Amino acid sequence: MNLAAYILMGLGACFVLIGSIGLLRFRDIYSKLQASGVSDNAGLGLILVGLVLHSGWNRHDITLVLLLLLMVITNPIVTHSVARSAFVQRHREEQP
Amino acid sequence: MGVANAAILCSLVPVLILLWRGPTAWDRVLAYNSASNRIVVVVCIVAVATRETIYLDVAIGYAALSFLGVVIISRFIERGGGHR
Repeated sequence: MNLAAYILMGLGACFVLIGSIGLLRFRDIYSKLQASGVSDNAGLGLILVGLVLHSGWNRHDITLVLLLLLMVITNPIVTHSVARSAFVQRHREEQP
Repeated sequence: MGVANAAILCSLVPVLILLWRGPTAWDRVLAYNSASNRIVVVVCIVAVATRETIYLDVAIGYAALSFLGVVIISRFIERGGGHR
């Protein structure tokens, strides 16, 4: 159980590092949104699953699962909101 | 577990660079969201490592408040507020 937890956390850390390199490399806002949204959701979710596996099934694991659900639900909402904001504002600037 | 913590703290540096020199306001909003996600997971790792379970409630509050802040700021920019 501990080995699986460490493997999941290492995989999640790799995802997060690659995503944060992509945040610096890309130029467009939509590319940055794609790099940030996908890799953050995957990497941080994997790290939280690894934490749940590591600490066994205690009482406070319900809190960790709740936090994982909150993050999985709210990250796509944030990505969609920022992308819609950028698209609408740029569209409004092109057609005065 | 310390390796994952160190990796997330190292990946916080490019996010802060993006927050500092972002050309548009959306880059800064995105960097704020990304940094707050990483901080929430760092708090969770510290809570599980030191067995202080009260920090998990702090992490849930931080995640909810950062979500509200990002959505409200992006809607504000969408309506044309600020200097972009």
